[in-house]
Amino acid sequence: MKKIATALCLGLVMPLAGARETNEVQELRFQLQQMREYFDKVHAEDRALINQLIQKMEVVSAQGALPASTNFSPLAAGKTPVETAAPDRLKRLDERVDQVVEAQKKSLPGEFNPAIGLVGETIFGYRSKGSDQTGSARPGGFDIFQRSVELNAMASVDPFAKAWIVANSSADPLTGEAALGVEEAALQTTSLPGNLTLTAGRFFGEFGRLGCIHDHELPFVNRPQVLDRYIGGETRTDGAQVNWLLPTEHYVSLTLGAGDQFGGDSPNPNNPGTFRSAPKLNGWGRLSTYFDLAPSWQLEAGTSGLWNPATQDRGGVSVQADGGTLTERERRLAGLDFKLSYVPLRDNQFSSSTWGTEVLYSDNRYRFDPNGNWNPANPFSGPGDGEHLNGVGSLGFYSYVSHKWSRQWSAGFLYDWVQAAWNHSDQTSAYSPFITFAFSHWNQLRLQYTHTDHNAVSGFKPDDAVYLQWAWIIGAHSHGWTQR
Amino acid sequence: MKFKFLLIPFVVAALGLFPARAAKLRVVTTLTDLADFTRNLGGEFVEVRSLASGVEDTHGVPMKPSFVTLLNRADLVVLIGFDCEHVFLPALLEASKNPRILPGKSGYVDCSQGVSPVDIPKSTDHSEGDVHPYGNPHYMLDPLLAKTAVGNIARALIAAAPEHAAEFVRNRQGYLAKLDAKIIGWEQELAPCKGVKFVSYHEHWPYFAARFGLQYFGTIELKPGVDPTPRHIEQLIASMKSERVPVVVREPQFPEKVPTLIARQTGAKLITLPIMPGGVPDTTTYIAEMDYIVHTFAAAAK
Repeated sequence: MKKIATALCLGLVMPLAGARETNEVQELRFQLQQMREYFDKVHAEDRALINQLIQKMEVVSAQGALPASTNFSPLAAGKTPVETAAPDRLKRLDERVDQVVEAQKKSLPGEFNPAIGLVGETIFGYRSKGSDQTGSARPGGFDIFQRSVELNAMASVDPFAKAWIVANSSADPLTGEAALGVEEAALQTTSLPGNLTLTAGRFFGEFGRLGCIHDHELPFVNRPQVLDRYIGGETRTDGAQVNWLLPTEHYVSLTLGAGDQFGGDSPNPNNPGTFRSAPKLNGWGRLSTYFDLAPSWQLEAGTSGLWNPATQDRGGVSVQADGGTLTERERRLAGLDFKLSYVPLRDNQFSSSTWGTEVLYSDNRYRFDPNGNWNPANPFSGPGDGEHLNGVGSLGFYSYVSHKWSRQWSAGFLYDWVQAAWNHSDQTSAYSPFITFAFSHWNQLRLQYTHTDHNAVSGFKPDDAVYLQWAWIIGAHSHGWTQR
Repeated sequence: MKFKFLLIPFVVAALGLFPARAAKLRVVTTLTDLADFTRNLGGEFVEVRSLASGVEDTHGVPMKPSFVTLLNRADLVVLIGFDCEHVFLPALLEASKNPRILPGKSGYVDCSQGVSPVDIPKSTDHSEGDVHPYGNPHYMLDPLLAKTAVGNIARALIAAAPEHAAEFVRNRQGYLAKLDAKIIGWEQELAPCKGVKFVSYHEHWPYFAARFGLQYFGTIELKPGVDPTPRHIEQLIASMKSERVPVVVREPQFPEKVPTLIARQTGAKLITLPIMPGGVPDTTTYIAEMDYIVHTFAAAAK
């Protein structure tokens, strides 16, 4: 019975399927016909144009010689081709073809070469107190500091990845000797499915807002102290990170990464022993989102976290005023940030305002040794002589406003405040008005005054500083997504 | 198994995260003229969004993260080309993580294909300002060259959705016929202005000038992307006076102060002209924009 029913069903369905197939074939034939007609028409138009030009060339050849070539410039010319005589039109056509060929000659030999750029940045500074009283790496008094000579190169590796390198030469603050270092050398995928991007190598890990951009791209002269003290300056790492753009209409981006060392000024990789287990690596993550508050008002917000469960003696042993020592054993850092921007659609090259704030909470765990006799060579020994592990919760933040009122001029104000990561009673604050003059997009001067205050616990003195920063760019310079 | 209903929120959430592919082609254009063309060609089969609203400078569309999600879901990205969008598009494309619309892929529709550029710089050194190495990218202000862009968009639409080829071809023919009729009218209206000299803030107008027989005298900017110096303004005013330049064009994205000063000192007439649809009120389409440009210029040059 079942077989009979199946046969009946097939008998009914097959003709229907056949009819649908016939309709599809007819539809495809019709489309093919339409496309043929379209391409025939385009072909005929092109052919007619070519014939017209050939005829004109023959006429001109018959008349004698073509007039001598002169540089065509619409600024100087201005006659419409419809109005000019055939020789003029041919001459212009020749010249424009030559221009295109010349442009190709310029770009083709460089096609396989990376885009190369160089950034230079000099800081002329005066600071009222010496480095022994400010805790700064730079000396007091007059100081001329070639902070960066940064060479960038970037290119596609293949259809699946791009790579870049940033090499930076900066002078040692004490010896004055310049050393060339590789700030970044990384590979990034360009065609992973699922809205994923993988970055691997040495790069600036995604943590916070201003930690992952280079010094010369900051909106003020110096990196806020909270970033210097809690992260170590730039968020440089040797590692890998995955970014996922959530497939939603609202912008949400999630990044997770792991790597050895995190922070540009970290003296050494974490845990430089003979064997490094996974928990001894840094792990970090960032979740960020964005809101169009109005066509000209934008709000970006994000939260970041960094964790290294076993940092051992990253940064070495710190000797305290009472003779005791402390050593970082676990690194825990969390951050919240936002940027509110007014970017008028019409004249954003000439006017814009920004308010950016970032708050970081450091909850590192330290090994305290009140006698100062702990032996770093045996870091895994248990507590003794009053040694103990303890977490220190410290807070820091910076907030700035900046306003641009012409293509060349902008100004702003930065306030930052931070508690030392190992002692939240040790506090430092600073405020810095700054003004920027951009000769062009590639050449700018910035003048900044900074007053820094330290509380009594820190042992440092308040000081005043004036900085004049001159930054310039030559060669290729792209506006990356991170620097927007 | 009686708790199966607990899965419903997860299923709904998953559908929200991974929505079914829409039947319409999702097209993102960089500028509003390209959006207008695409809407005219694609009709009901396309969903078009433009990154620019029309009031922006063609080189200065803000990089908003909301554009990233638009581009992430796009089937096609339509652009002017000749590096016109170099300030914002490459970074947005990279962040969008959509390999279909990267340069070289079929979803990357460069409308400059087939356009012969002018003002190709002899050197791309920055002493010449923010130069475009492939030539001046503002060809859309020549309506005949805009027709080339229309053709490029039509071809891309046909390739992306061949099942609607007949409609796209019909729409293209209809739109080009309308544009041809307007071009005749614009040429007639500007015919009395042949040879009229004018300056503008940025180098937007060489194609427009060549098409309609006008003389593009110079720019207020010192170099592309570089503000004028007092000496440049002085020299420009002197040469405009000696050459009797009657029109100063200000694009609405640029400050009014210097063009007004130049116009006042030279006796030239100052006019504000849009560089894409939406740049000034009541110019939401390409044809309306060109109507506005032609009427305003013709009136000023009288």
